[in-house]
Amino acid sequence: MGIFNNRNGSENGYRKPARYSAFDLFRRGLSRADWPRAWRKHDLRPSYDVVVVGGGVHGLATAYYLAANHGITDVAVLEKGYIGSGGSGRNTAIIRSNYLTPEGVRFYDRSVKLYETLSADLNFNAMFAQRGHLTLAHNDGSLRTMRWRAEVNKLEGVNSEVIGPDEIKRLVPYIDTSEDVRYPILGALYHPPGGIIRHDAVVWGYARGADAYGAHIHQNTEVTGIDVVDGRVGGVKTNRGDIATRVVVNCTAGWATLISGMAGVRMPISTFPLQAAVTEPVRPFLDPVIVSGTLHVYVSQTDRGELVFGASVDPFTSYSMRGTLEFTEGLAGHVLELMPSLSRMRVLRQWAGLCDMTPDFSPIMGTTPVAGFLIDVGWGTYGFKAGPVSGETMAELIATGKTPELIAPFGLDRFERGDLMGEKGAAAVGH
Amino acid sequence: MSMRLKPQPGEVIDRGRRFRFTWNGEAYPAYEGDTIVSALAACGERVFSRSFKYHRPRGLLTASFLDPGCMVQVGDEPNVRGAHRRVEPGMVVSPQNVWPSLRFDIKSANGAFGRFLSAGFYYKTFIKPRRLWPAYRSVLRRFSAGGVVSPDSSHGYFDKRYAHPDVVVAGGGPAGMAAAIAAAEAGAQVLLVEEEYELGGHLRWGNEAELAALRELRGEVGSTAGIEVMTNSVVNGRYDGNWVAVLQRNLPHVVERLVKARAKTLVVAPGLIERPYVFEGNDAPGVVLSGAVRRLVNLYAVKPGERAVVLSANESGDAAAEDLERAGVEVARVVDARRGGDVVRANGGGKGVRSVECADGTKIDCDLLVTAVGWTAPTSLLNMAGDRPVYDGRAARFFPSRLTEDVLVTGGLAGDGTLEELLAHARATGRDAAGRATRTGRALRAGIPQHADGQPELAQSPPVEYPKLPVYDHPALFRGKTHGIVDYSEDVTSKDLVAAEKEGYDAIELAKRYTTVTMGSAQGKLETVNAVAIMAEATGSTIEETGTTVWRPPYAPITLGALAGRIFEPVRYSPMQPWHERHGAKPLVAGAWIRPDHYGDPASEVRNVRENVGLIDVTPLGKFDLRGPDVPRLLNHLYVNEWSNLDVGAVRYGVMCLEDGVIFDDGVTGRLGSDRYILTATSSGAASVWEWIDNWLQTAKPGWRIHITPVTTAYASINVAGPKSRDLLLRLAEGVDLSPDAFPYMRVRTGRIASVDGCFMWRIGFTGELSYEIHVPAAYGLHVWEALMERGADLGVKPFGVEAQRILRLEKGHFIVGQDTDGLTGPYGVGLGRMVKLDKDDFAGKPELAWQGERGDYLRLVGLQPHDGSLVPPEASQIIEDKNGVVGRITSSRMSPTLGRSICLGFVAPHLATPGTTLLVQLPDGERIPIRVTQHHAHFDPEGTRQRG
Repeated sequence: MGIFNNRNGSENGYRKPARYSAFDLFRRGLSRADWPRAWRKHDLRPSYDVVVVGGGVHGLATAYYLAANHGITDVAVLEKGYIGSGGSGRNTAIIRSNYLTPEGVRFYDRSVKLYETLSADLNFNAMFAQRGHLTLAHNDGSLRTMRWRAEVNKLEGVNSEVIGPDEIKRLVPYIDTSEDVRYPILGALYHPPGGIIRHDAVVWGYARGADAYGAHIHQNTEVTGIDVVDGRVGGVKTNRGDIATRVVVNCTAGWATLISGMAGVRMPISTFPLQAAVTEPVRPFLDPVIVSGTLHVYVSQTDRGELVFGASVDPFTSYSMRGTLEFTEGLAGHVLELMPSLSRMRVLRQWAGLCDMTPDFSPIMGTTPVAGFLIDVGWGTYGFKAGPVSGETMAELIATGKTPELIAPFGLDRFERGDLMGEKGAAAVGH
Repeated sequence: MSMRLKPQPGEVIDRGRRFRFTWNGEAYPAYEGDTIVSALAACGERVFSRSFKYHRPRGLLTASFLDPGCMVQVGDEPNVRGAHRRVEPGMVVSPQNVWPSLRFDIKSANGAFGRFLSAGFYYKTFIKPRRLWPAYRSVLRRFSAGGVVSPDSSHGYFDKRYAHPDVVVAGGGPAGMAAAIAAAEAGAQVLLVEEEYELGGHLRWGNEAELAALRELRGEVGSTAGIEVMTNSVVNGRYDGNWVAVLQRNLPHVVERLVKARAKTLVVAPGLIERPYVFEGNDAPGVVLSGAVRRLVNLYAVKPGERAVVLSANESGDAAAEDLERAGVEVARVVDARRGGDVVRANGGGKGVRSVECADGTKIDCDLLVTAVGWTAPTSLLNMAGDRPVYDGRAARFFPSRLTEDVLVTGGLAGDGTLEELLAHARATGRDAAGRATRTGRALRAGIPQHADGQPELAQSPPVEYPKLPVYDHPALFRGKTHGIVDYSEDVTSKDLVAAEKEGYDAIELAKRYTTVTMGSAQGKLETVNAVAIMAEATGSTIEETGTTVWRPPYAPITLGALAGRIFEPVRYSPMQPWHERHGAKPLVAGAWIRPDHYGDPASEVRNVRENVGLIDVTPLGKFDLRGPDVPRLLNHLYVNEWSNLDVGAVRYGVMCLEDGVIFDDGVTGRLGSDRYILTATSSGAASVWEWIDNWLQTAKPGWRIHITPVTTAYASINVAGPKSRDLLLRLAEGVDLSPDAFPYMRVRTGRIASVDGCFMWRIGFTGELSYEIHVPAAYGLHVWEALMERGADLGVKPFGVEAQRILRLEKGHFIVGQDTDGLTGPYGVGLGRMVKLDKDDFAGKPELAWQGERGDYLRLVGLQPHDGSLVPPEASQIIEDKNGVVGRITSSRMSPTLGRSICLGFVAPHLATPGTTLLVQLPDGERIPIRVTQHHAHFDPEGTRQRG
């Protein structure tokens, strides 16, 4: 595409980063040589072909695929804090593709596929643990939805099936599948490819990869304004100076409406806090991720042995990330309903992140009425698992000017056409 | 080898009570009052765990709750703080993270590979080949730290308590005690919370004068009215509105209790935490902090070693040296850091320190190295209250910067000084806290918002005069000339941090995430400041510029049991539940309610409704009593159809949409009087409908004159359905003319039923039969139900449950919101487009419904019948078209007892909705069966003659 001059490409080309491998660990261990920076520091240039706002997994993946797939390397990623400091570092790192609509399933399945090869592609071990994903059904209504999802998943070639309490017990011996509990477990949607990943490593891996191709990662760089002239983007203002650019991609979460507002684009998004907590480690006993919509809880055990918990978003809009006592109280009650023998495990830390919710529980991706201003926002509680495919498709959109089929259903204009997505039921507490 | 000393003046052990417990499979003696670790140390044990990554032996460090090397398993309880938890007779304690044993741990070989296992090494390897990654991962998982939980662990008893103190004091050291006394003397109700087992803080291991001061303070606390003391408890979190979480541990018969206190003022007085020193070998057993020595000798009468070197930069180090001398430990050397003295390295293997190398080149043989290099201010609770503490380079620690009106600090967090100076400051803080609490109380009673811009017009008490509290200079000592462990529980070294910085993880938060420094059991209380200092050194910036990581709740780890408490999951039963139980009802969990699914044979229950008369308990139906002149406006706003013209005595069906035009709930609303309406919602939607209505009335329409009362549980509701329902009701209803002309379909009447006043009933037809839904005051529900059963015996009256109702309504083609609708379904899709009145004034979902009406590409709800009437495709089966893939799905399916064949409702794409179209449904086994679109949703009596009869 004509607007991209690939300055970095012509100047530096692909700078192969120091290789990560057991052999190199050993070699550097012997020689005690330092590892080079995983990504470099740069002065802000006066112009870039593409400016990505937001240094989380979406923004960094966009920068990476712009370079890796399309040779567009004159790219700046602007991050107001440190990379991965927003939703990418606050989510519970669950990966899955067992969505409800065929469009959703296809989209997230592509993401799972990218995650499966990510460590090798980026030469950075993100430790994807595909230990399976169980969504519990405590009433016939949710069992029906599980069957619906399983049928759609199977038709899209995604491995999901509805299993009964005995099979659940076999997979998770700690779970109480008896009938004499308040909300007996009737069954579950079992999704073997699902699992968890080291979320920070995904961020760092993409940052290292994008940097190797010449993209500039600017931390502590806050966007304060977006110049729009005659309906088209001309540049961005930051706390470190102004940048001229014809393409700005909003890859933020929590502040997506504010950034879009700078370009004069309004979006149907409300921001809600989502809380999470982690326990002290114990010896590994829990393989799959467990989700219960009825009990508003999801739980997984990291490879370090900690249990990581999350719930549904708080019931009110807020930008606060302080967390509440009510959250941990409710969470603990629900976890113990599922696994009563964990009562002596201790919660070590609680935190919160911000979720940009859209009316139909699906993201908003693609172009806007402002030419050159693109959005990859509205990621609610499902943004992390979509990071790779979002980066890949947004990069394709920027490079080709055509909206890839995978994200065509997620355009901003769907709200003007009343063409909503149907993920509401599956995504409400759908981790 | 006994290391127990002769009785010490401040000791907390009871030498009259000696018992045994088990450690690592062997019996050990202990005195009452010993911690697990003090008892073991008294027997000469020095190693209590193995470290996370290198499996290095770990011993005592702080001898307090935070001690990272003293995490042990007690019975089925993992991660017990062995240096805090008091040992009990017969306790079974075992080490964690050892394999195969504490003394010989094979994984300690990792230590030899330390240079290859740098921070984040796992990000750099195990990448290829990908198929081996699961195997690598399972090996890595074996290195996870921590104890063991078993699937059979007992739940234990936990509970909760609410408290409403004026002042909560966090920390029961001298400052906390003095603040509590002063606050209580000023008239405040005070909750004084101390993390350790006794009040007193550092006075407990002090000299004669300090012990005397302690006795005096304890006496005052005991004799001052209005102070509630909680020991072995911790203020675990400060949330918005000074909502303070206090955790009480190990109470009689209660494992842990969460006390939730709405404090008017919170006084934070936790004292200071002694900071470890980073140098080579700093984690060897025998390298301890001065506070640990002071505790061991003075509280537990345990001799910490035989020959010691003391690195001292403050009074605590000097006092520890004196304690050691008094305890008969040879103090080989006191290295005074204030005069430039330093320690370079501690040498020693698995058994502990053997010698220490000093900066001046001397090497001293010893088995104990005591460090006293400074303090960390535990500002965690202040952070939770929004404070960003600032670093004071002269004192080498952080201080609070801007506190909110309802949070005060005293003690070591506020400054240094003599005991007298600290107590004076604490007393002033206590008086101030009480005064502020009084003002808050007055403001609350006067209904004045707490944080309004304008100050409340209340009499101000004179501001409290605070005595000046000095801040002493302290050498800034974080890392010596060598590298060592920064985070003991995570095995993170200063080298790891330096390496992380070089790799670009140069912000403290990035370094934290990359190396996992401060992510362990102490959550940075021991490690953060050292980590920050080392990062500052590595980046060439200052500690202020580097900043700290964020402290988050809880202050100390809290069990899931304590957070959950008794687990209050309320259950709702209808008043008729005793009758259902007596008659063999199979329970169905339906959200908050448990209700009869069936009484044995749903099919015969269906037939009885079609042939005679049946009763179903529909009490969970959401019911709202609406009054006021603006009720019609509200109904017009909530429902898509027209409500302005609802006559008294009329009932109308309505559909509610959210603002996206998607069906949210449905039900009937009846007008009982000129100014009284009853609105009903589905059983599962009742709670959200209530929130939805209240949200509109409180936010968008506050001016509407409407009073709404949820009366779901105030009425017991019974649907009397079947051709003989009128005959049955004629026997029990009084004051109501039941003749079809006087009480036709979709009308409501009030009257007496079975001698019960205040009932109302309406004629509606979910089952498709002549039916009356009667609502009686809940207290008489069982009576009316029994009366109906008794008086209707000769008419063949039988109960029916939810399952029969679902079949009946499916035969009749009525959809259920949430089952036959989904997150996209609007009224047009379920065939109710004609109900939508777009010419009404604004109503919820109106613009979106206008679009829906124009589009026409929505899925259609249709009646479906498989060609083979013996096959019932499971609900959620997908309807497939070869060229288009999924083109619909079955939403409801049953075998119809009335028609003797399978019947369904389902969604199909618009081009397939024409009656008579044959479609293919995919069954779970992959087989596809033909199914036909029917003329109507209703499979039975589509004209509705039966229900109108």
